[in-house]
Amino acid sequence: MKLSRIAAVAHKELREILRDRIYLALAFLMPPLLMIVFGYGMSQDIENVALAIVDEDGSAMSRDYARHFMESRNFAYRGHLRTAEDADRVLANGRIKVVLIIPQHFAERLMQGQGTSVQTFVDGSFTTIARTVRSYVDAMNSAYNTGLAARYLSARIGMAQSRAAVLIQPVRIEVRYLYNQEARSIWSTAPSLMMFVLMLVVPLLTSLSVVREKESGAIYNVYASTISRSEFIVGKLLPAIAIASLNACVLWVIATQYFGAPFKGSAPLLALGTLLFITCAAGFGLVISFLVRTQQTAIIVATILGSLLAMQYSGIMTPISSMTGATRAIAYAFPPMYFEDVIKGTFMKGVGMRVLWPQLLFLMGFGVLVLAVAYALFRKRIRA
Amino acid sequence: MNPYVVWNRQVAALALKELKQLWRDRGLFAFVVYVFTVNIILAAGGVSFELNHVPVVVNDDDRSEASRDLAYRFQPPYFSVLGEISDPKQALQMLDREQARVLLEIPNDFGETLREGSRPATVQLLVDASHANSGYLAASYAASIAGKFGAEWSQRNLAREGINVSAIPRVENRIRLWHNADLNEPWFHTIAELTTMMTVVCILLPAAALVREKERGTIEQLLVSPLSPLQVMLAKIIAMEVVMLAGVAVALFGIMQPMYHVPMKGSLTLLFALTAIFAFTNAGLGLTAATFARNSGQTGLLILLIVMPIVTLSGTWTPLESMPGWLQTVMTLSPLRHFVDIVYSILLRGAGMGVLWQSVLAMIALGAVLFALGLVRFRRQFT
Repeated sequence: MKLSRIAAVAHKELREILRDRIYLALAFLMPPLLMIVFGYGMSQDIENVALAIVDEDGSAMSRDYARHFMESRNFAYRGHLRTAEDADRVLANGRIKVVLIIPQHFAERLMQGQGTSVQTFVDGSFTTIARTVRSYVDAMNSAYNTGLAARYLSARIGMAQSRAAVLIQPVRIEVRYLYNQEARSIWSTAPSLMMFVLMLVVPLLTSLSVVREKESGAIYNVYASTISRSEFIVGKLLPAIAIASLNACVLWVIATQYFGAPFKGSAPLLALGTLLFITCAAGFGLVISFLVRTQQTAIIVATILGSLLAMQYSGIMTPISSMTGATRAIAYAFPPMYFEDVIKGTFMKGVGMRVLWPQLLFLMGFGVLVLAVAYALFRKRIRA
Repeated sequence: MNPYVVWNRQVAALALKELKQLWRDRGLFAFVVYVFTVNIILAAGGVSFELNHVPVVVNDDDRSEASRDLAYRFQPPYFSVLGEISDPKQALQMLDREQARVLLEIPNDFGETLREGSRPATVQLLVDASHANSGYLAASYAASIAGKFGAEWSQRNLAREGINVSAIPRVENRIRLWHNADLNEPWFHTIAELTTMMTVVCILLPAAALVREKERGTIEQLLVSPLSPLQVMLAKIIAMEVVMLAGVAVALFGIMQPMYHVPMKGSLTLLFALTAIFAFTNAGLGLTAATFARNSGQTGLLILLIVMPIVTLSGTWTPLESMPGWLQTVMTLSPLRHFVDIVYSILLRGAGMGVLWQSVLAMIALGAVLFALGLVRFRRQFT
């Protein structure tokens, strides 16, 4: 390996990127753009769900019950409907997701000390919303019931309301969210997006770099030159790693400053993990680059594989502990899951090398392996 | 011959040429096949937001019958108890390493407080919220387990105090899930993936077709032929429409219906008609992009830049409601945002034009603008 030849390839590579406006946009505009777009787009905070109410009772009590729902920040109140039949209509076009229906005699039956039932229609077509809304409704209803029963007992038996509340709901569960005290979705997604964006953009960068030369024919110059295979590969990798590292810094700033995600751990540790991950991703792109012939195919393959691995097999959407069988095996075989651990560990958990060394070791191992594969695939001969 | 007939035949001949070219472009053709088949299957099995065997460790300082009963209720499929630990430090380590995601701590006076009933018996739940959504769900499912457990004790205690439990007023809130009563995840995921990929294909194909002509120089031949720019554009769009409708049919009838029993409540004719219109609206976008690119590599990147934000922010995967207001307003300009409503409404909610006309009108209006834009760009560049 000769440094001057590596530098020559790297220099040529950088100039090419700087000259091609669209390639330049891919290198420097796409990462922050994707980060911000996905930051908003992947938010799982379910608030302001469109709510309509049918109040067939129209009593003070029914209005009070409805008010609990209307004032909750989980729901966005969009108006009253006249009859339960109207609920069918508004749920049909998806603009309203939840309808609360309070039947006649609601207050009357409650005053008589009878149980009464109300209905909540939830649009289930968006499964995530429906599941969360169901738990909101359950929680709000049982809070209402506890208050109702406590008032009833204190009115009837003269028991103190606080004691009555204990009788009705004797168990209290104190939830403490670890690592993300407010369970804010963006605080956990923004750091993970660093992984997602890098996994998407870095393989694209390197996969295009060789294929472009194949398309333009410039690759024959490489074949004919004295440059060795490893020099060529390193020369191609270095600019991509440099650009990606710069991007990683920008992404980190977006995550912590724009989205406000807390960073508790060690920055050098994250930097090391990021560098290893970038190398894996860049090597991955090179492997694609050696296997395909056109830029179009390279983009398609890199995007599909990159987004699949980063989205479905990394644990950012479904936690690894909930995965089974083949899904889990794939997750364990590729870098995104390990880098995701490093990100969670440094951003939220503040854990150090003692916990994260296996992850770093895997990333290093994968990096070596993928570069070895790239080396084996790259021939300075025209394939027959 | 009637000039209109000639005009139409020219477009048809050109569209046929486009189809043949796509067939020969093996990479692109394989991509289109993948998108409407394997990809849908991958999406169906991929991501689940339901709690699934969340690993729980229990620190039971009480070891009473009551505390054991409570811990025992954390059951699969939502939770799975890994075991008991006595050292909280060890539990925290397990949480750090993601071996456990929930720690249930029961204090040593739990059972006694519960029997006495003068103050609430408190248990503590430590939830790993590095995964915000599943952390929140775990906490709320745990709360409902504790709630049920508490309700049973409450009945015992109330009876002991001589209070008639059934006389206490109570509101029961019956929740009914519409359109997907069992919260069948593959229904949601396959539909979301299909609309996503429809967007990709109907932007990518016309753009790829146009830039190919540029790369090979055949665009010059088209310019000297007696064809108008509109005809050239239309031919590319029509070819894409054919591929697109065929792909949607394969995805719907070959995969989504037989494999996942996705319901098709509304009119399928309406669905396909609106799909064709949707594809038309996006084609303008693809052609505009292609006029800015010099080769297929650049087109691919430009399209990624355009498609990613559209697909992510149009309410396909995540609820629009959770986005900031200004962004929701901006996204009303995306045809996909309206099309998503349309597809869900027709397939799952069984809606017809009566409810959908607003979304349809918005989509058509946006499409007309995009198409005009594409035509103007195309004209300016090639004539």
